[in-house]
Amino acid sequence: MTEDENEIMLDLLCKKAVYGLTKEEAGLLEQFEAGDFDAGSFEETAAAIGLIDLKAEPMPDHLQAKVMADADEYFSRDSVFSKNEADTSSQRTGQVSHTKVRGSFMDWLGWGVAAAACIALAVNLYSTRNQSTAVAGNGATPTPTQQEQLDPSQQRQRLIESPGQVIRANFGKGNVKEIAEISGDVVWSEAKQAGYLRLKGLPKNDVSKETYQLWIFDEAQDEKFPIDGGTFDINSEGEVIVPIDAKLKAKNPSAFAITIEKPGGVVVSTRGKIAALAAVKSNQLGSTFNDRIFDPPIVKLSLFGAIFSFRFSSTVAPRL
Amino acid sequence: MAQAILQSIADGDKTAVQDCLKTYGGLVWSLARRMLRNSDDAEDAVQEIFVDIWKNAARFDPLQSSETSFVAMIARRRLIDRIRFSQRRISTDSLEDVLAEPVDRSDKMIQISLEAAEAAKALETLRPEQRQVLKLSIIQGMSHQEISDATGMPLGTVKTHARRGILQAREFLGLGDAESYTKEASV
Repeated sequence: MTEDENEIMLDLLCKKAVYGLTKEEAGLLEQFEAGDFDAGSFEETAAAIGLIDLKAEPMPDHLQAKVMADADEYFSRDSVFSKNEADTSSQRTGQVSHTKVRGSFMDWLGWGVAAAACIALAVNLYSTRNQSTAVAGNGATPTPTQQEQLDPSQQRQRLIESPGQVIRANFGKGNVKEIAEISGDVVWSEAKQAGYLRLKGLPKNDVSKETYQLWIFDEAQDEKFPIDGGTFDINSEGEVIVPIDAKLKAKNPSAFAITIEKPGGVVVSTRGKIAALAAVKSNQLGSTFNDRIFDPPIVKLSLFGAIFSFRFSSTVAPRL
Repeated sequence: MAQAILQSIADGDKTAVQDCLKTYGGLVWSLARRMLRNSDDAEDAVQEIFVDIWKNAARFDPLQSSETSFVAMIARRRLIDRIRFSQRRISTDSLEDVLAEPVDRSDKMIQISLEAAEAAKALETLRPEQRQVLKLSIIQGMSHQEISDATGMPLGTVKTHARRGILQAREFLGLGDAESYTKEASV
């Protein structure tokens, strides 16, 4: 590369990083070899400068849902993990279409199965709703020490006794016939964005084939894309306590569902195997307890792409 | 743990997508909001940026940069494309804030990362005119001509400040080779 070419390339790399290039300039840059320059370092420098004094704003919930829908579509494509897909330029990439529902074949195929599951879920949700119990977290403010080591049960109890709102709901069976004796509950603190599952009757899973995954239905997320509450495995009999690992901020959760998924979990569940369900009866417990009364409540759960609604006569129920 | 997100995505771990969104969603959204101003445009851009991130995750090299820098770079590419495509520019009411020197550190703006802090140090090493041009161009997305119009600097001077400023900052951040900086500094 001549000195003149070197200068032109340096100009283009700087301009690309600072202002971006026109198509003509981008074409010209591609004709050059990188030479002595690490081409990406210019963009990286500009990117770092672009972070200065950035006003941190949380991404809106509805936009998060859109991105998750994009992810579902993008990662469903067979070629997605091909290394060849890595972009090699700053040109516009192919856009993901933002259709909300995919797999119409599955919709039709699952319709019959879903109808049966719908009935089971309706019964289950109705029963678990009525079993839901308010837990008051109105004790004195705990003052844990930094070094204190608590087991999961103690951590759960500590959460329940913490100030602010803590919700609790009982688990009932889902649509897996083999898991009929499930019991337990979920507690969740919106302020702390933390919670625990207490489960009994959930069978051990073969970790090489499947895992359990929790989903949180809240008022911020589209019901088709509940919040991933984390995966867990059951490797012992008896009661187990599992901390919730919510991947997004949950706002006013109204239901919790445990599904059986492949190892590692999934981004979007087909909800083919629902091991347990818990619908929140009351959205609040604790020192400022204040049951809210909703209009005739509707609980919706998606199964196989179809959405079903369950209407209850009770005056307090989750909104999904 | 954060450093493993992009590698996990590249390896096909779909659960890492939510980690990615949780960790970098605010960053990407904030960058889009600052550079595009219009919320609808920013939302569209964010969706495109995350697809770009997933596509390019395999190209991330932790030995060369942090995930934050990498994500910010991907975001910036897309945002520049959109700005160039739409010719949308900075709203004039924010110009005074940007041109004010020194930057007011007493407000609630947050240094979101170590990279930002280091970049701020890099800018401090530049001449005031170079710093000003880089802030208007990189942070505000203004073109050469717009910076010239806003500051009264000749167009050629704006270009020179931008070039020398980015080279020097790159060097300060340890991203460039000393030879190019030395050569540039002597111009």
